[in-house]
Amino acid sequence: MRRRSSLPVTFLVPTLAILLVLSMVPTLYAVVIALQNRELSAPGYSWVWFSNFVDLFADRRFLNAVWVSVKWEIVTVIATMVVAIGLGVLMFEVAGPRLRNFYCLLFIIPVLLPRVSAAFVWKFAYHPLYGIATYPYRLITGGLIFDPLSKPGTALFAVASVDVWQWGLFFAVIVLKLLETLPPQPIEAARLDHARRWQIHAYVTLPMLKAPLISLMFVKMIESLRSFDLIYVMTRGGPGVATETLDMYAFSQGFIESGKVSYASAMAVLMMIATVITFTMLWKRVQA
Amino acid sequence: MRPGRLVARAILALAGFLAVFPLVWTALNALKNNVDIITRVPKVIFTPTLANVSYILGRDSVLTGLYNSAVACGVAVLIGIVLGLPAAYAVARYPNRFAGDIQFFVLSLRFLPPVAVAIPLMVIWLQLGLYDTLPALIVTYSLLTISVIMWLAIPAFQGVPKEIEEAAFVDGYGAYAVFWRIALPVAARSLIGAIAFSFVLVWNEFLIALMLSSSNAKTLPIVASELSQQGMNVPWGILNASVVLLSLPPLLFLGVLSGFLNSVFRPKKS
Repeated sequence: MRRRSSLPVTFLVPTLAILLVLSMVPTLYAVVIALQNRELSAPGYSWVWFSNFVDLFADRRFLNAVWVSVKWEIVTVIATMVVAIGLGVLMFEVAGPRLRNFYCLLFIIPVLLPRVSAAFVWKFAYHPLYGIATYPYRLITGGLIFDPLSKPGTALFAVASVDVWQWGLFFAVIVLKLLETLPPQPIEAARLDHARRWQIHAYVTLPMLKAPLISLMFVKMIESLRSFDLIYVMTRGGPGVATETLDMYAFSQGFIESGKVSYASAMAVLMMIATVITFTMLWKRVQA
Repeated sequence: MRPGRLVARAILALAGFLAVFPLVWTALNALKNNVDIITRVPKVIFTPTLANVSYILGRDSVLTGLYNSAVACGVAVLIGIVLGLPAAYAVARYPNRFAGDIQFFVLSLRFLPPVAVAIPLMVIWLQLGLYDTLPALIVTYSLLTISVIMWLAIPAFQGVPKEIEEAAFVDGYGAYAVFWRIALPVAARSLIGAIAFSFVLVWNEFLIALMLSSSNAKTLPIVASELSQQGMNVPWGILNASVVLLSLPPLLFLGVLSGFLNSVFRPKKS
């Protein structure tokens, strides 16, 4: 039907060329810098090859950052999916069309906020003396202090709660929309068999949505890696190194503490290799 | 069934409350004097003041940040539209054996760690003498806007009924005319959603702006984060006002984006 046209070439080639240049130049250059010993304060540098990488594996703060990043991914991804599926199903079950629209609008608001804003909003809320989120605790205990952001045991969860506030509510909207796209017949059939409502969702609707839900989780895994702003504003990696993720540690090594740009870049390159391998494998599996 | 429903409704109402209340509280704090914020029992009734808001809007650093954010995000989104939409159309309508690989490549740009991109770019821009300038920021953001717009526009173009385009070809339209006059207008609603989404993403971006600017090209999120580091007496009211200012532009797109979600997840007609 369609004649041969120059359109695909003129439309695709310039864009892809620009994307390739914009992504490959910094990527390759990151590797180059990682193999040198550049520092922000000194102009000279030489090639040190893999010594930055060797040093990293002897650096206990780096190993801690890897562990914190893994914890962060697990906590935020699982909590987001649980909140999203829970609220999505609840909306589907008990809310009429108008109420659904209203909740959807409310639930999209947090994710639209810049993460810097979200981080500030909750940093105030978690303030031990004046915060609105810690007020109930002060009220019940008669003025005891609860300071989640400065305790090593709770800081990561306090920051993660903000991430889940932003993404879990947003994903609940998507889960609801996914449930709405399902054909009604299987649900009605299950209902005729006297299945309880939670059984219908656990055994009928959610298994039908397995593929989109896995894609959603995939998106969240990628987004969870971009939590730098949240942690930077709320805790700066503290208390101690309790919330220091890989990007936070790379940033403080490269810019705040010592200006060791090459050392930071080596860390970034390792992160890049790990994420590209992991997500490529996951993606191929999701597509298959 | 009844008590279960009641509990379910209560949970939903609580979630809705949690979604917006922290923001409402921030907006209220922006209108309070410091004494009304620093209270052990939260104050709901207070004498409002516009001092914080006018302080924020009167500061040069905030205005410069606002200007930088508007220019950097606006131009990057324009570049994203000009380069991303046609490319997405080509992938959607002229399938070839690379289509899958192209889509994966575009997605893979999203999982490059931002630090890994920002460190080398900082060194590159320093060497080119463009560090801390808007052009450097715009070029860097373009990578983000082009890939996001492409990613979201491919399904939008695929959603345009093929029959309309075929009919236009039969009427003697060329390939480019079909894109301009048929595909673009028909997909417009979803495309605007994709564009709004890319704007919100770059407006909210923090790490790259933080690393690629030191004084001249600072965007609003950076300025806002710096306000919190002034001295020992935290200016709570001012901080809250700057958070509100920073959050307003993305919230303007609330309607567009919720419409976009509705058009992406249209119930299948059975």
